[in-house]
Order: sequence, then C-alpha cells, then structure tokens
Amino acid sequence: MKTSKQIKREAKRLFRFCLVNGLLDEARTRQVVQGIIDAKRRGGLALLSHFQRLVKLDSARHRAQVESAIPLPEDLRLSVQTGLARTHGPGINASFVQNPELIGGMRIKVGSDVYDGSVRARLAELEKKF
Amino acid sequence: MGDLLQEIEAKIAGAKATTAKQNVGIIREIADGVARIDGLTDVMLNEMIDLGHGVTGLALNLDETEVGVIILGDYTQLHEEDEVRATGKLLQVPVGKGLLGRVVNTLGEPVDGKGPIKSDVDYPVEKIAPGIIRRSPVRQPVQTGIMAIDAMIPIGRGQRELIIGDRSTGKTTICIDTIISQARLNKQAEAAGDKEYRPLYCIYVSIGQKQSNIAQIIAVLEKADAMPYTIVLDSSASDSAANQYLAPFAGAAMGEWFMDHGMDALIIYDDLSKHAVAYRQISLVLKRPSGREAYPGDVFYLHSRLLERAARVGEKYGNGSLTALPIIETKAGDVSAYIPTNVISITDGQIYLETDLFYQGIRPAISVGLSVSRVGSAAQLKAMKQVAGQLKGDLAQFRELAAFAQFGSELDPKTQAQIDRGKRITELFKQSQYSPISAEVQIALIGAIQLGYVDDVPVDRVKDFQNKLTEFLTTLKPELLRKIAQEKALGEALTAELKAAADQFKQTWK
Repeated sequence: MKTSKQIKREAKRLFRFCLVNGLLDEARTRQVVQGIIDAKRRGGLALLSHFQRLVKLDSARHRAQVESAIPLPEDLRLSVQTGLARTHGPGINASFVQNPELIGGMRIKVGSDVYDGSVRARLAELEKKF
Repeated sequence: MGDLLQEIEAKIAGAKATTAKQNVGIIREIADGVARIDGLTDVMLNEMIDLGHGVTGLALNLDETEVGVIILGDYTQLHEEDEVRATGKLLQVPVGKGLLGRVVNTLGEPVDGKGPIKSDVDYPVEKIAPGIIRRSPVRQPVQTGIMAIDAMIPIGRGQRELIIGDRSTGKTTICIDTIISQARLNKQAEAAGDKEYRPLYCIYVSIGQKQSNIAQIIAVLEKADAMPYTIVLDSSASDSAANQYLAPFAGAAMGEWFMDHGMDALIIYDDLSKHAVAYRQISLVLKRPSGREAYPGDVFYLHSRLLERAARVGEKYGNGSLTALPIIETKAGDVSAYIPTNVISITDGQIYLETDLFYQGIRPAISVGLSVSRVGSAAQLKAMKQVAGQLKGDLAQFRELAAFAQFGSELDPKTQAQIDRGKRITELFKQSQYSPISAEVQIALIGAIQLGYVDDVPVDRVKDFQNKLTEFLTTLKPELLRKIAQEKALGEALTAELKAAADQFKQTWK
C-alpha cells in the first residue's frame, strides 16, 4: 500500500516531467492526467489530487492579475506585459481587471508578490505613517 | 544648515508613500490556533505575518507548498481565503525601564489597566545568546533572603539555578521571596545613597498559571512594595499555546536589555514544564513528528537556547548580568523524567524541594543533599563562606546519623553532639513565607550556631531564640550588623564582637 508520502513524491515526479524549459507544458499535463485515470491503480485519486494541487500552485505563480481603476489602453497593457516578462521571466499570463475602489493607479499581483501603486494603498500608507 | 537640509530631506522621503513589493498569501485552513497559508513564497522562518484584522502570526513551518503560521491574537476574526502579508520583521517586544512595575502580556501589551507602556526600544524575542568571549565568571551574589539557599546553595548573578519539585512544595514562594528580598536591598541602597551597590531588577514570567495565582502574587509584591523593581509577564492558562510558547523568550528579551546596559536582572520562568507542554501542542498541530512522551524532537533546544541567554557579560561589554531561575514541576518526585533531566543538564545547579520534608514541617523544603549550586562559594559573601562553609558537611553527617537519633539509645558524646547540632541547624533554617532575612543577620545567626551558642537551647525553642537574637542585634547592636554588611568578611575583631554580643544576649535570654 502506498503511503501519502510516497504518493506526494510520485506526484512531484510527474509534475517535474510536465515541465519543459521551466514552464508547464499543457500537452504533457493532459497526457499525465489521462494516463493516471487509465491506469486505474490504487491511490490514483490521491495522486491526481496532489498533482492537481501542484499544477494549481504553479499556474498561480505564473498568473499575473493587473487591477486598475479605469480600463487601460492597449499600449499600456503591452508595456505592462513586457515589463512582467522582463522581471518574472516568460510564461506569465496577465489578466486585466477593473477595480474602481483603487481610485487611481495600478495593483499588480504576480504569484505571491504584490506591487501596489494604487492611490488607495498610498493613502492607507500615509495614514499609517501619520 | 547642511544637517538641517539633510534632516528635512530624510523626513520628506520618509513621509512619501512608495510602491514597495509585498509578499502575500491566502489562508487555506485555520484550526487550533494555526493557519496554513498558500503563497508567501518569500517568507523567512519566524517572520511576522500580518493576518489582517489587527492579528499577527509567526511563520514556523516553511513547507514546499504551504506555510504554517501560529496565530498570536484573536483567531476568530480570520476566515478562509483571507489575504495575508509578510511584514519582513521578526517578532519584537518593547523593553526598557518603562516596563518596571507593570504587568504585560507576551507581546508587551499592558494588561494592568495603568495606561500605555513608555518604551523607545524594541528587542527581538529570538536572539542568539552571548558568545564565549563576551562572558565573564559569576562572582556577585544574589541575596535570596532564604538562609538555606544563601548559606548552602548560593546563587550568583549570571547563574541559572533550577528550582525543581512536586506541586505545592514552595517553588514559586522561593522566587517571590527572592524578589521581595532584592526589592528591599534595592530600596535600602537607594535610601542610603550607596553608589556602589548594583540594583537587581526582577522579571517574573508566568506560563500557563492560573490567573488567580498571578493576581495573588501581584498583591503580595505590591504589599511588600516590590513592584517598582519588577516586571510581571503574564501568559496564563487561558492564553493561546502560541503566546505561552513565546512568553519566556519575550521575558528573556526584556532581561537582555538590562544586561546590555550594564545592569543586573533576575528572570523567573514559572514554569518551564507548562512551556514544554505548550510547545508540544504547537508542534503537534503543525504536524511535526513527535518523539518521547509526544514532545517534539527539539524540546531540548527550546530550553537550552532560552537558558543560555542568561549570562554575566564582561567589563568590556558593560558588566551586566541576567540570572535565570527556571521552575520545573515533577510528578511524584521523578527527576528522571524527560523534561526535568533536560533542564537539569542545562542549568548550573538545582534546588530540589521534597514533599516529605514539606510535610515534616521543614519549610522551605530544600533537600540539602540533592541540591547543588555549581557556582558555589565563588558567588558568596566572604563572611558567609567563613561561617557556612562547613554547614553542608555537618548536615550530611547529621542525615546519616539521623536514624540513630530515633532510637534514643546511648551514643558516644561526639555522635550525640553531631545529632544535636544537626537538629538545631535544621530548625534554624526553617523560615516563613515572604520574610527574607538580610545577609548580615544570616551571617550573625549562623556564626552564633557554629560558635556553639545554640547547643544548650532546646530544639523546640530554637526558633524563639533566633527571633529574639535577631531582635536584639537589630535594635541593640545595629553597629555590629552594619560592620558585617560593610566589611563582608569576619575578621578576628568582628568575630570577637559577635561573641561578645551573643554572650550578652544569652545572659538575658531564658
């Protein structure tokens, strides 16, 4: 019987197999998932859930959410994307969201890192300082 | 003018809001005072995490896919999917003289309702102990005011002395007596304007104790007017395990401030058994592997790094000291259990309290045979060493012969004398709670007994003899006591004076 530690290790190995040049390859990922389902081995479901968690965390690391108060023009969007690619490497999927609560400026969240240049955040910081 | 411009520039730069990078995470699970967080990829070990709603946490488990954070505050405010931020700071507590006379919690927040704490400096809760070069040998005594300890198991400034015993044997009482005795000495020196005397400030850390006990202790300290020299750090049984785990370290940080600034401090950890239990709870909830008695593998390191922070630093580094009196509660007198053996091997000696002695009426119930101070007479006043040097040996012989005393059979005069002397010394060392005896009176009393003045006093009247002799010396011979206190050694002249005083007293005593 496989222990949860062994299953975790196996899931990690499969995840590493799906990485091509440091980025997750979609085709390989689909292949792995189908392979596990078809194999119908004991502990397959636990393996799938661990694998899913690793894929979810990896995609969160490579997902960028750009919030702005007003819809951004196309050239600004492009420059943000190139900037992100420069600092965080290729493979960042940027999504642009409108959030009027920011009042002005941008809030960029890439994985766990947040760059908050919005007016709301600066006001809060000034408030804390005084 | 140039400095002023620079200052204004710095102030403007400080007031400007800048876009800095923050590290965030999402709470995936909260249970039992521990939050598991996804994200927080750049967090460091022991870093403070801002969990929102004014609650902070400490990152203790850095796993591959998540971070385990212990919550220091009200965890009912937190929800799954909340966003949390890393602060980039280590946990710090306010330190300084502004804490004296106050009752605070683990994070240094006041709980006595006397307003905010005046403190400009924060010290980190986790700090590496002073290295070898910074230390210097322990030479100055801590006058606990308890004769049995000051005579036979002397404690020095910078030493760690463990107080170990079963429940209700008087462990906390010894510590409170020490605080009261030190407060008295501090006040006397202040009143006399003695510049050479170094005051000893006390920090009482209570971990997992009943709040009624803590309230009682504070009342006793206030009555004895000891609070102006004491900090009480209260992490009672209703506090979370995380706060109980951090309380001794916070107390040590407060003590280190005194040590770093050339002052002497005494810290009492009451008690470390409950501290180990709180740490065990945190480790088990963080799913760390458990070892003997379900304690985590690093429970020794927990106490060793705490107790190593008590030291005496050298002249070059300020000549300060931090003395530690950890308390451990044993079950059924078993000192060979896991946590007691750990802490015994860390400290510089132990004071062992026995329930049998307690119920025989010998209070403080100190077992002279099993108690030891590894610093010993290096930290004793010379006069005390002169009179009390042989006491331990005399009592050891008495204990061996005590069995014969029960038979009342005919013994040779020497053995009988040893037994008689031993009984009287034991009687002399009985002392009531909260009544510390000053060093010079102790020296006079022990000197009297060693010179044979108590040999003809019936055993049940020894206490009365002691009280009357103390009264006699303090009222009619204050000069003699003052000389003993000043010279700190019993020369021939002083011994002769003591003998004369004792003779005079004996004539009047019936």
